[in-house]
Amino acid sequence: MSKLVKRWIPSLLFATIPGLVVLFGYLFPGRLLIHYRGRVVEWRDVLVEWAVIVAAFAFLLGTFNILRVHGGRIGHRRQGWPYSLVLLLAMMVTWVPPLLPAGTLVRQPLDRAVFDYVISPVAASLAALVVFTLALAAFRLLRVRRGAGSVLFLVTVAVVLLGSTPLTGVGWLAGIRDWIVNVPGMAGMRGLLLGVALGTVITALRVLVTSERPHSDF
Amino acid sequence: MDIGAILLLILSGLILAALLILRGRKGARPKIRPLPAFQDLWDEAGHAAESGGAVHIALGSGGLGGEDTATSLASLQVVEALADATVCYNAPPIITVGDPTLLPLAQDILRRAYERNGLADLYDPANVRFVAPSPVAYAAGAANVVATEHVTANMIDGAFGAEASLITDAGARRDLPLLAAAADPRALGALYPATDRLAVGEELYAAGAAMTGERRYLDSLVAQDILRVILVLVILGAAVLAFLGS
Repeated sequence: MSKLVKRWIPSLLFATIPGLVVLFGYLFPGRLLIHYRGRVVEWRDVLVEWAVIVAAFAFLLGTFNILRVHGGRIGHRRQGWPYSLVLLLAMMVTWVPPLLPAGTLVRQPLDRAVFDYVISPVAASLAALVVFTLALAAFRLLRVRRGAGSVLFLVTVAVVLLGSTPLTGVGWLAGIRDWIVNVPGMAGMRGLLLGVALGTVITALRVLVTSERPHSDF
Repeated sequence: MDIGAILLLILSGLILAALLILRGRKGARPKIRPLPAFQDLWDEAGHAAESGGAVHIALGSGGLGGEDTATSLASLQVVEALADATVCYNAPPIITVGDPTLLPLAQDILRRAYERNGLADLYDPANVRFVAPSPVAYAAGAANVVATEHVTANMIDGAFGAEASLITDAGARRDLPLLAAAADPRALGALYPATDRLAVGEELYAAGAAMTGERRYLDSLVAQDILRVILVLVILGAAVLAFLGS
């Protein structure tokens, strides 16, 4: 009885049955319908809507987690605590515009200013930094792992990068770049995606048949 | 019902049949090829316990409810496998997530490990950290954890893109060992130069089998291999038929 209550009922109720209903809804549209808020809708849409609501609450948990982790860092004066202070202050500033009453003159400009002058430029700068960390990783590869595979990797990267640039004198590389991307690159990627698709389906099936239960010990 | 749905149904049916047949089979456990990205994690967890540090596990920007759900669930297998051992040594991993839906799951796995080992009082939910919901910001935040905390090894496992290189770079600056598993080709391009202990593509879904050796994981891995061979034969057959037809 205990095993039934602790293992099977939660797993069936929250994983298997909703999973099968949503899957069935996608495979056979228009078969599982329900009257919901005065209109006829698919069961799968209702379940997905509920999932979105639950996910929104997860964001609240995430916010509390950030407050706890960085608040603790500031409180114990751990290494880098001023950054945590800046993070928490910035987070609180972004809470101000949505909390202002609707129709307040500064609400929309303030909201846009946060995105246009802080979040977007910082995100773009970080994305640009990725290029340099990738280049650094390539140099480290030459230092740490000298082999045929490493050389082939770096030559391929160099050809594809140079072949994509509008520099004069390297136009002939564009043809080689196209061949690398469209023939061996595409073949490798399709093989990779085939394996990933199989892994995805198997993991999903394991959850549906309750063989995989990350939420429970039973 | 369109052709994609029919194919998905056939594939799911074949996988279920293979899993059921394998589950009923008795005898020796199937052997799997070595996957250092997961198997070496035990050694790294041991080093972390000896030095009083922690392994950093970055679970990526994927979460539950999106296209990365299966990848995220597979990456949680690493936490699940490692939890008991690290908790016993009181050297729990620092886990960073980029999607808040993974936060309660990862915290719950750690909490249950503490309870199983009678150490519930030592559980600290701050060992699992939500960093940021956008991939690049998440990678930058996780890199900061690697750079400033007493981390002795880096494990990157989950839904990543090229931004994974921000975390690998922070680890390389401190000469930290790196283990990685990714399914996205952009992430693989960024991780390949950073480590030779890399689980590529579908190997990411073998974490449970490689780390625990449990029969249920091994069986699904064998089913996956059988299905892959069948799919390859079907593709080759279709190509031959198309060639003969033209």
